[in-house]
Amino acid sequence: MQDLAIHRPQTVAQAIALHRTGASRYLAGGTDLVPNLRRNIQKAQTLIDISGLAELRGIRAESQSLRIGAGVTLEALCASDAVRAHAPLLAEAAALVAGPTHRVSATVGGNLMQDTRCYFYNQGDWWRTANAFCMKCDGDTCRVAPKSERCYACYCGDLAPVLLALDAQVDIAGPTGARREPLAALFADDGMRHLKLAPGDLLVAIDVPVQAGWTAAYEKVRIRGAVDFPLAGIAVALKRDGERIAALRVACTGVNSYPGLVPGLDALVGRKPDDAFHAALDKAVRKEIQPMASILTAAGYRRRVAVSLARRLVERLYG
Amino acid sequence: MKANRSGAGARRPLIDGVEKVTGTAQYTADLPAPNALVGRIFRSPYAHAEIVLVDTAEAAALPGVVAIVTGQDCDKPYGILPISQNEFPLARERIRYRGEPVAAVAAVDAETAERALKLIRLKVVERPAYFAAADARREDAVLLHDNKRGNLEREVHNEFGDVAAGFARADLVREQTFRCAEVTHAHMEPHAALACYEPERGHLTLHSVTQVPYYVHLSLARCLDMDPSCIRVVKPFIGGGFGARTETLNFEIVCGMLARAARGTVRLDLTREETFLTHRGRPESDIRMKIGMTREGRLTACEMEMVMRGGAYGGYGIVTILYAGALLNGLYDLPAVKYDGYRVYTNTPPCGAMRGHGTVNSRFAFDALMGEMATELGLDPIEVRRRNLLKAPTETINGLRVTSYGLPEALDWVERASGWRSRYGRLPKGRGLGIACSHFVSGSAKPVHWSGEPHATVILKLDWDGGIVILTGASEIGQGSSTVMAQCVAEVLGVDWERIRVVASDSLVTPKDNGSYSSRVTYMVGNATIDAAQNLKKLLIEAAARKLKTTPEDIECLGEAYRSIAGGQTLSFNETTVEALVGTGTLTVKGNFTCPEDFQGGKHRGGAVGSTMGFSYAATVVEVSVDEVTGLVKVERAWCALDCGYAINPLSVEGQIQGAVWMGLGQAICEETRYENGLHTAANFLDYRVPTIAESPPIEVGIIESLDPNGPFGAKEASEGPLSSLPAALADAVRNATGLALRELPLTPERVAGALEAREREQRAAARKSARQPATEGAA
Amino acid sequence: MKRILRIRVNGRWREDALADNTLLIDYLRGPLQLTGTKQGCDGGECGACTVLVDGRPRLACCTFAAAVEGCHVETIESQAQNGRLSPLQQAFHEKLGAQCGFCTPGMVMAAEGLLRRNPQPDEAEIREALGGNLCRCTGYVKIVESVQAACAAKEAA
Repeated sequence: MQDLAIHRPQTVAQAIALHRTGASRYLAGGTDLVPNLRRNIQKAQTLIDISGLAELRGIRAESQSLRIGAGVTLEALCASDAVRAHAPLLAEAAALVAGPTHRVSATVGGNLMQDTRCYFYNQGDWWRTANAFCMKCDGDTCRVAPKSERCYACYCGDLAPVLLALDAQVDIAGPTGARREPLAALFADDGMRHLKLAPGDLLVAIDVPVQAGWTAAYEKVRIRGAVDFPLAGIAVALKRDGERIAALRVACTGVNSYPGLVPGLDALVGRKPDDAFHAALDKAVRKEIQPMASILTAAGYRRRVAVSLARRLVERLYG
Repeated sequence: MKANRSGAGARRPLIDGVEKVTGTAQYTADLPAPNALVGRIFRSPYAHAEIVLVDTAEAAALPGVVAIVTGQDCDKPYGILPISQNEFPLARERIRYRGEPVAAVAAVDAETAERALKLIRLKVVERPAYFAAADARREDAVLLHDNKRGNLEREVHNEFGDVAAGFARADLVREQTFRCAEVTHAHMEPHAALACYEPERGHLTLHSVTQVPYYVHLSLARCLDMDPSCIRVVKPFIGGGFGARTETLNFEIVCGMLARAARGTVRLDLTREETFLTHRGRPESDIRMKIGMTREGRLTACEMEMVMRGGAYGGYGIVTILYAGALLNGLYDLPAVKYDGYRVYTNTPPCGAMRGHGTVNSRFAFDALMGEMATELGLDPIEVRRRNLLKAPTETINGLRVTSYGLPEALDWVERASGWRSRYGRLPKGRGLGIACSHFVSGSAKPVHWSGEPHATVILKLDWDGGIVILTGASEIGQGSSTVMAQCVAEVLGVDWERIRVVASDSLVTPKDNGSYSSRVTYMVGNATIDAAQNLKKLLIEAAARKLKTTPEDIECLGEAYRSIAGGQTLSFNETTVEALVGTGTLTVKGNFTCPEDFQGGKHRGGAVGSTMGFSYAATVVEVSVDEVTGLVKVERAWCALDCGYAINPLSVEGQIQGAVWMGLGQAICEETRYENGLHTAANFLDYRVPTIAESPPIEVGIIESLDPNGPFGAKEASEGPLSSLPAALADAVRNATGLALRELPLTPERVAGALEAREREQRAAARKSARQPATEGAA
Repeated sequence: MKRILRIRVNGRWREDALADNTLLIDYLRGPLQLTGTKQGCDGGECGACTVLVDGRPRLACCTFAAAVEGCHVETIESQAQNGRLSPLQQAFHEKLGAQCGFCTPGMVMAAEGLLRRNPQPDEAEIREALGGNLCRCTGYVKIVESVQAACAAKEAA
């Protein structure tokens, strides 16, 4: 384990104040960060343990939304009556993350902001040395796409697509003050810098709108019934108006360097989900996703299955 | 047979089970060694290279580094088979796979040792490297081992029976290719060793995770050029083996080398990644299988070509490639078999023995194709197997003896338990049932190192305190061998369980044993244990007769007492013991077991491989559901019936069968090692997917007791035979569910979905074609 | 950087000077010699190191000792009390929930965490709760049976 100091602040303000240099990192449940620290692929001189911050805890049902502290554990999220009542899909998706023991410590914020993954990256020192490193850590070439200027590590979180489909906002505190923004604005299409956060920025809470008439579903393709990251994951939220689809959001994970909302679905709103609708949906999903050979399961399969899942979920939700 | 509460047939918890559930069981990495130095291995980043220089000067100068060893420190090659020893504990001259140990460091702490590794400079000239068997076999390929042309470690060609005639009289002949990904043991305990060198005495003690302490002892003596009497090898609790540890592994010798160089104690705990790199698992296999069958489903002939990607060194390779062919026989009545096997050297971590050694991939190809042909002939797949049963006792065409055969009952059991007759072919879309059979040896009738000694020797010690100590070299690896031995003693002597203790696998005190592999322990060591217990009983009866002034024939052993039948007087066990010690002191008796020569296989080259005194027989049914969108195969349930001869411990037999079924499922649906230019890309538990409890199915077990004439109380092996039936049963079930014959393992969603899509494309193309056809005709 | 940490381990408060980068697993296995907690992987992938922190399962290999300051850490060594195996230990022993035994401490602790919250779980809940604990010997069948047997024994007691 690399040499590092751990601080345990009592307030968000203290935590942010402690986060001075690029060598500082926030530590919550540790299930994503600590294995990476052990492998030397994420580095830190200072860890700021935010797991004790009361301001990050709590789930609160407000008039139009559900406010979830970033420090709420996935286990607590699964068990929350408020979540089960107002955003049951979130509880279901949280139950699909990793294994049950991970979920006891892992937090909502940590899950959203987990590092991207790549088999050229999630390796020990010997392996990466033998492979002359990669752009994301200690090297300068992306081993997935050696001619590329960017890194193609893959985003594999389960909560993000669901929260995107549910149109969530995030509250961020930082050295320059607090802000609220759509969750989608947090992410960028870059395996190395997939989070648009300034140094010291800290995710405080997630605000999930509670809207009547919507139904939502998430499906994660994985080989094992626990532990596995998604090979591809699709979340769909839709609102039906008689025979027609009145509103539709589709988000994906495991197929890009960021979790993204599928754009261009406006043209589908107001239509019946017939063959033409599905052909257009297929096309829109296919256009949005760009799975790369950053995880061992073939990109072609992940692309095809993501498209098929979107179709299946829309059909299921439409009823 | 009487079943007392701890004798043969009793459902005893493991004799060493309490330690396991309380956390007091000490595995190698748990052994206290407060002042031990920390060892670390420097591994090659290159796949194939000539070593120019291993420069350790800078590392050696680092404060806290106590010893460094390199290939220069050992010029004795080792390997489990005396005929293919071509591996050095640390690479000399040539590196043959990425991850091969090149040097090792012992330092005062882990940080220093790791820093030292970064200061070692390795200069090489790279050579072309081959990661696929086909590439290594190319005519222009550079040889990994100069004496092995075509990079073939061994090719096997044999034919038994008249294969051409067999195919000629078949009504249906089918030939298909199959491919099995490489899989590995993934025992939960990472590799570890602890070596203590006593410079004043020149003694070395090694604690290690081995299944074969004797072979480790031999290799240490050879590679360290020490007299074996100066070496002690101890196997503490070990966290599984499954074959990974059935040969001496490089880190064990390296640990000994480091301890001697440091003149002290060195702890060498491998990471999970290094444990994967050490490998010795089941090789990637390409199989061409051809089977002939009559209209009634009788097998007429079989022809198989098997190519194994063996990895960089010999290991057990020759045995694996021989087993693959030999054990096509002995399961069904198969009149003619032609086998061509090729074991290929490649620049990947060496393969070795893994549960079901050699047979699993051949059995997959054979039974999967047999099932496909049954469907084609419109026959029930269970019925087809019934039509090809052996009749014991018999001898196969390649000279294997079958003396007990419970496969018919096993088939009946799974047919009944799975509801086969009412459910097969009647399940909803996407759901299917499949079946396959398999078998395995109860120990190889000819040992690897033929020394003229018995196959197994066990010592019992009985002293004034009345405690019976079983001294055995057999490695308890979690399979329950120590418990089985204690039950054998309890059965023969009838004594209380509490009297019996087992001391296992410490070369200082226990007799040599060949180790825990090829399912030899229950059969061979069990028989030796019974022999020893009978010898002890004889002494106790004589003592009781002496004391009671009667004849031994008049003495009845009541377990905890000895009684004169005529006089009615009894002696307690302790009184009998006291008498037995008079004039001789502590009793130590020995028991032996030897496989008679006529069980040791055919006379042809390699004929000893596959020979055994008893085969276990398994029939397995699997039920699956297949998600046709994602391609995910869910195993709903599995049923396995095993003829293990006799269940000395039914609880343990169930556990072994369940574990074997489950491990076979892992190979069939999700496990595979992967390499990128020879670099292991799945050397962790996220990418090498050992199934979790969440998706693992209920497994129902049937125990069939055919009472083998030579097994201990009729017992045979119970842990390997079931595994081999799983891949074929699973593929059969997926075929039943989807109509697709999938012949490449594992059946991951990617492969299943790929096949479903390919079929859809074909169907669409066919539909287009048939739609066009009438139009064309109309135009004409 | 070293500091004195106050941690309650298996019922006893302790104060130990530990470097900040000390992982809980290394603290337990090293200075405390509580080697029942196993390291089975290179971090967070197998569950062999599962312990209870304030009654909930935690991966000791992904947890800094500093992060459990003031908490109660329970390991497998605490489960047998006054020479009596816990119901789970007894059941894992009698039902052969342990073969090689290497995953057993983590498995028992994860199951203990489950039973404290849900004393009568059904099979699906048991499989769910043990999803992060790999076992390579048993196929999990007898592990499920062991947990069920422990529940039955607790019920009867």
